[in-house]
Amino acid sequence: MASELRVNTLKDAAGNNSIATSFVAGGSAKVWHHYNQSGTLATVDSLNVSSAADGGVGITRTVYTNALANVGYAVSGSHNLPSGNTASWVTGFDNSADFTTGQVTCSTFNAGSGRVDATKAMMAIHGDLA
Amino acid sequence: MASILKVDALTGVTTAGSISVTGEGNSTTTNLQQGLCKVWSHIQGSDAAIQDSFNVSSSTDVGTGRETITFSNNMTNDDYSGQISSSGSGSPALFFSRIRVLSTSQFGDDAVNNNGGYADAADICYSINGDLA
Repeated sequence: MASELRVNTLKDAAGNNSIATSFVAGGSAKVWHHYNQSGTLATVDSLNVSSAADGGVGITRTVYTNALANVGYAVSGSHNLPSGNTASWVTGFDNSADFTTGQVTCSTFNAGSGRVDATKAMMAIHGDLA
Repeated sequence: MASILKVDALTGVTTAGSISVTGEGNSTTTNLQQGLCKVWSHIQGSDAAIQDSFNVSSSTDVGTGRETITFSNNMTNDDYSGQISSSGSGSPALFFSRIRVLSTSQFGDDAVNNNGGYADAADICYSINGDLA
């Protein structure tokens, strides 16, 4: 039977390790996305992702199933070393105009050649759900 | 009225590994288990010494700019989403990290400085979201 529990604080049975449920909700990732940009863009696994779009080499838009409350959320990302590239790399936002409550576009960069497609690209979002 | 629940384990009723939590906006829900960070670690780049961590049994320095952490409890597959950030020390101070090891039991990085060479970062931070085994 489904059930709903309303509580402000969680503790272990001994009464220790207290944590407010606000930290459980607020500290949980609201979106995470593991995708392969090589060839046809493919989602490997995800949470709260409705779709992903290929915006060109190294550019991927992640669209959320449930929107965030505002654009104050935090995005982090990483990717692996694309074959044949040996220079520096970083994952970042591609277009601030595409940073909305419903989606974000991240790019994978290589210092030697600009944007590159990664086989293992990953991002996560922490913030407030709408 | 404030309330406190004392419990050692949380388990879903319909599905043991699935509990819904109402989001901050009081409308949509998110999955508790799916949203929880399963691994995090802050290590030193010079020797891979763990500063603090969660669900990490060990860390290994496998060469300049290369570290690997080993999980206490494995992930169910290597489809998880992992993030890495690193900080430089001295000059050059700009560091980048990429994913080098991605498995159910380990996660590792390569760190390079802005000259393009492998280098030990001062601090390296990892976090992983995904499914526990």
